[in-house]
Amino acid sequence: MTIRELFIDAEAADHPQTAAIRSRLAVPARVVPGPAALFEEVRAADDPAGRGKQVLFLTRNRGAFLKACPGTRHYTCCGYRILHVGSYCTMDCAYCILQAYFHPPLLQYYVNQEDMTRELEECFSTPVIQRIGTGEFTDSLIWEPWTNLSRGLVQRFAAQRRAVLELKTKSVNVAGLLDLDHRRKTILAWSLNTERVIREQERGTAALGARLRAAAAGAAAGYPLAFHFDPVVIYDGCEAEYREVAERLFAAIPPEQVVWISLGAFRFMPDLKALIQRRFPDSRIVYGEFITGLDGKARYFKPLRIQVLRSLARAIREFAPHCCVYLCMEDDEVWRHSLGFVPAERGGLPRMLDSAAARHCGVEEG
Amino acid sequence: MDFEGEWLAAAPLPVPVDAIDAEELRFRITTRSDLEPLAASIGRLGLLQPLLLRAAGRGYTIVSGFRRLAACRQLGRREIPARVLSLAVTDACCARLAIGENALARPLNLIETARALALLTATAPDGCLPVEDAGALGLPAHAGVAARLMRLERLPAAVREGVQEGAIALAMAEELGRLAPDAASAFARLFRRLGLGLNRQREILSLVTEIAAREGRPVLEILTGHELEECLLDPAADRGHAAQQIRRRLHRRRFPAIRRAEEGFETLRRRLDLGEGLQLTPPRDFEGTCFSLTLSFGSLEELLELRGRLDALARNPALSRILKSKAEGFAPDPPPAGPRPPS
Repeated sequence: MTIRELFIDAEAADHPQTAAIRSRLAVPARVVPGPAALFEEVRAADDPAGRGKQVLFLTRNRGAFLKACPGTRHYTCCGYRILHVGSYCTMDCAYCILQAYFHPPLLQYYVNQEDMTRELEECFSTPVIQRIGTGEFTDSLIWEPWTNLSRGLVQRFAAQRRAVLELKTKSVNVAGLLDLDHRRKTILAWSLNTERVIREQERGTAALGARLRAAAAGAAAGYPLAFHFDPVVIYDGCEAEYREVAERLFAAIPPEQVVWISLGAFRFMPDLKALIQRRFPDSRIVYGEFITGLDGKARYFKPLRIQVLRSLARAIREFAPHCCVYLCMEDDEVWRHSLGFVPAERGGLPRMLDSAAARHCGVEEG
Repeated sequence: MDFEGEWLAAAPLPVPVDAIDAEELRFRITTRSDLEPLAASIGRLGLLQPLLLRAAGRGYTIVSGFRRLAACRQLGRREIPARVLSLAVTDACCARLAIGENALARPLNLIETARALALLTATAPDGCLPVEDAGALGLPAHAGVAARLMRLERLPAAVREGVQEGAIALAMAEELGRLAPDAASAFARLFRRLGLGLNRQREILSLVTEIAAREGRPVLEILTGHELEECLLDPAADRGHAAQQIRRRLHRRRFPAIRRAEEGFETLRRRLDLGEGLQLTPPRDFEGTCFSLTLSFGSLEELLELRGRLDALARNPALSRILKSKAEGFAPDPPPAGPRPPS
């Protein structure tokens, strides 16, 4: 969706980042005393989730920029840290949790990056490996046309040796990053899915082939890469189609350049179901065989998850036998039956991923 | 000019029954169609309340008294006492009189209320519901509630009839209103036939619409398919049994893998032969990893006896099979290896 209007928090009006974005985003702009009226306007829209993609609110992040990934104790979390640069997304995926996660769902970008830099410097000074990403509350690279956010982050991470930055996207906005001296401290990551899921569920995202070409460009520029098959959607013929994606992935990308690949079966907060039914009436994604998981989210019936994740993991291993493949938010039973081991046998999932980051990106503890 | 007093002032006159256009139903509020008690009363006591008519060309249209006219016709009356409004009386005025005669004499059902609100709105000069009039006539005056009720008027007849007889709640009628008319009618017929409560209706509606979405078929095809028809045609099944059968079949179709797993687990649990005092419970939806075993006893002797059975249970191959096959949805044992069939 296209941004049609810019709202500027009065507290952010004089910030240089605000001026830079205004100069690049040619839409009407309004300075407002705070978010309240805008939030109310978005909430009152017929389609708040759609309206929230058409307005961009420039403001200051008054909380922490670095946050823990919101995992739950019932399922194994990767222990990744979120760099909260902004929220929501201009793309429009039927299954997107952000539609129901933010109240209201609204594009927000935080201009006070001097505070973010300070937090990152503190983080870089801790003697442990850190995996940090911007792609949890937003798509990492949607901001590229209007900001220098990712260029700045790549350069900051290149100047230290303990943390890796993961930029996760469904876009192809990597052109501005390819000439940077990244020192392998930034992982360019793509969310992948089958052609059918992309066509039917991911409005406004780049096509699979385009994502793979962008990834290949990243690989050619020496970036370590990662891929996320998340959400894996179950439908008739899905296993063959996911296998085909894996095949195309490794036809385009050298396996040795892939730091990790995650697999996550589609899961959603119960509130999201009615929202998907209303906003995406042709989508059948919520009509799978779901049960209520231990974390209260709807999840595919466990044997079905195991079957599809096992099949996809096998396909990936066929093309990239040494690649680090992990599951997002699953328990040991699913790990055992789909990957053949449980994280504890390899020191736990965070340890597995730290090791992969150390091997591919040269980060180190101490 | 206030015409409302006109009919009160006018003395009732005998009007030829044949001069009244009984097909013009614009001001009809009532949904009642039973004439016998009314005809019996008129036959015995005469018509106590004259009709209210409006002059129309050479004849009359009815403002109030549709059932009284039908009952008099049934009794073979040729004339009927009526007060007659002139052509100058506005539609809005007639609407208020028609509604008042019904609503102030007895409680209106939901469909009658919807008709009354729709009539008030349709005859208002600005096309909007006159909320003060609605309130004065005992109708819901809140715009939101009135709008919800008025939508009932646009629902298919089978749904309206279900609402009228109390078999379909307003909330369900609204949900049915979002479906294609043929599907809404089919649901209404099913619900009226099975006499289901709102929660069960919602369950069936959700199962059917989700099956239709999942399989890419029209809702009507699922509802009128052989699978459900069979349950309804079974002469041995009462309404409760038919409803249970239908729910079971819909669940199986909507959640085939989950149903297979439940049945697979049950088959294996039966093989455990647990007997009295032992109960094995799987994790909810087979999502967690812990099974529960409950021991029920009333004496030390019973507990000791259970201990012996516990040992036997732990050695039972079916228990091992339950634990090993959970991740695969309790798939049946693979067939024993035998000689290969000849090629």
